[in-house]
Amino acid sequence: MSRLPFLFILSGMAGFVLFHAASLMSLTGWIGEELRGPSGWFHVHLFVLGWATMLAMGAVYQLINVILQSNIYSERLGYIHYAVFTVGLAGLLFGFIQGEVYWIAACATLAFTGVLLFAWNMAATLFRASQWNAITISAACAVLYLVLAGLSGMAMGLNFATGWWNELHQRLFGTHIWLGTVGWFGLIITGFSYKMLPMFYLAHHYPTAPQKVVTALWNAGVIVGAVSFLLDGSVWTKWSALLLITIAIVVYNVHLLQIRKHRHKRGPGSGIQWSMYGNHAFAAAAVAMLVYAMWHPQQMFLAESVTLAGWIYLAGWVSFMIICYLSKIVPFLWWTHKYGKHAGQPGTPLMSDLLSEKKVYAGLAAIAVFGLIPPLGLILDSPLAVAIGGTAHSVFSVAYMGLIGLIFSR
Amino acid sequence: MTLHEEQVREKLRLVYDPELGVNIVDLGLVYDIRVDDDHIYVRMTMTTPGCPMHDMLVGGVKRVLRDIAEKREIAVDVVWEPRWSPDNMSPAAKEQLGFID
Repeated sequence: MSRLPFLFILSGMAGFVLFHAASLMSLTGWIGEELRGPSGWFHVHLFVLGWATMLAMGAVYQLINVILQSNIYSERLGYIHYAVFTVGLAGLLFGFIQGEVYWIAACATLAFTGVLLFAWNMAATLFRASQWNAITISAACAVLYLVLAGLSGMAMGLNFATGWWNELHQRLFGTHIWLGTVGWFGLIITGFSYKMLPMFYLAHHYPTAPQKVVTALWNAGVIVGAVSFLLDGSVWTKWSALLLITIAIVVYNVHLLQIRKHRHKRGPGSGIQWSMYGNHAFAAAAVAMLVYAMWHPQQMFLAESVTLAGWIYLAGWVSFMIICYLSKIVPFLWWTHKYGKHAGQPGTPLMSDLLSEKKVYAGLAAIAVFGLIPPLGLILDSPLAVAIGGTAHSVFSVAYMGLIGLIFSR
Repeated sequence: MTLHEEQVREKLRLVYDPELGVNIVDLGLVYDIRVDDDHIYVRMTMTTPGCPMHDMLVGGVKRVLRDIAEKREIAVDVVWEPRWSPDNMSPAAKEQLGFID
């Protein structure tokens, strides 16, 4: 069995713990500071790259042969990708803390090279398999947007160092954020869920047409948004991108309910159950934000609004979805490694023996409940609420990750 | 030693889908068993194409059958038609999973 997913998933879990530990040191106060500075860059990139992207890459390596029934193009390239990306990322984060421009430049280049190696490996794998459906198209587009997010980030870094395109900097910033958050994370999460959710629900004969609709709408929203940011489009072009994404989110949730309706297994597991709750809550939040933005379009781009939207999207949806699915990904990974060759022998544990469903349910409930408080604190302009909610959210997040980590001791 | 299909089927009940916690016979994954003096042949499927448990389950099947195979060669054929359906499951499996019709 390949150790490649292990490297990424363990590193991602470590990134998650480091992020929350760093957050705890400021009692989540870093959210209230200027995000567009070294502290904000450090926290945000630790989160999006050190945790979420690292984990997502590991999940891709783990699941690609489930989705394609063929192996990754090059396992060796995967190991090189890991080394280059991880070293580059570590250096980049260090550079942010130290405020060292040339350190940031060198390590960002290394991390971006890692992303390009990943993209090459994925492209070769997907084109060789030539199975094009909503899952593979979502994955391919997600990786493309990851590359473009990296490219725009590199352009911003270059501008910081040289000032060659100052007039473009703000546009590149918006493009970078949109491509990375909405493009990469949005499509990789939705795409892979089309395969995984029916497996955990033992769902059959559900309609798959909505998957194509979501994929098309989500891509349209990413492209409209990215082009609007890059060309400094009007606020209404950006709102149109939001509209497309929100419709995609609603259709996605309808599809999740269709899968659930066609289930043959009553309970998919606590983690997957909470992923459903999280998806529905996110859809409600997305609609609310869209309506609010329609009435107050200029508020969309205030720093406070971006911070709020960032928390809801990245912490409330992206990260929450990943930790929900982690309750299945890690037991599967560990069971395959440790017990796979003992299948059929008496005494071989089941995956359910590796992780307590009750503790998963309780952990995710605590993370969800306390995760609601910081955005409320931001809306009500209450730094105390942000601090208390954020601190509790981080404490329970670390505890939950510890629970997941204990699987490796079983 | 004479070996019957039913003995093979009973042995296969030791192989569990580790995620569902149900053995592959009750899950309805086993389509055909044939036994003669030189071979044991099992035709089976998985709950989903690309099932991540594919290699583990096939390995488990071969492992449990080695106990009774004696000198017989064990062959396991994983097929995708007919597609597995939850209706293939036994009543016991359906009850265990809280089966919804």
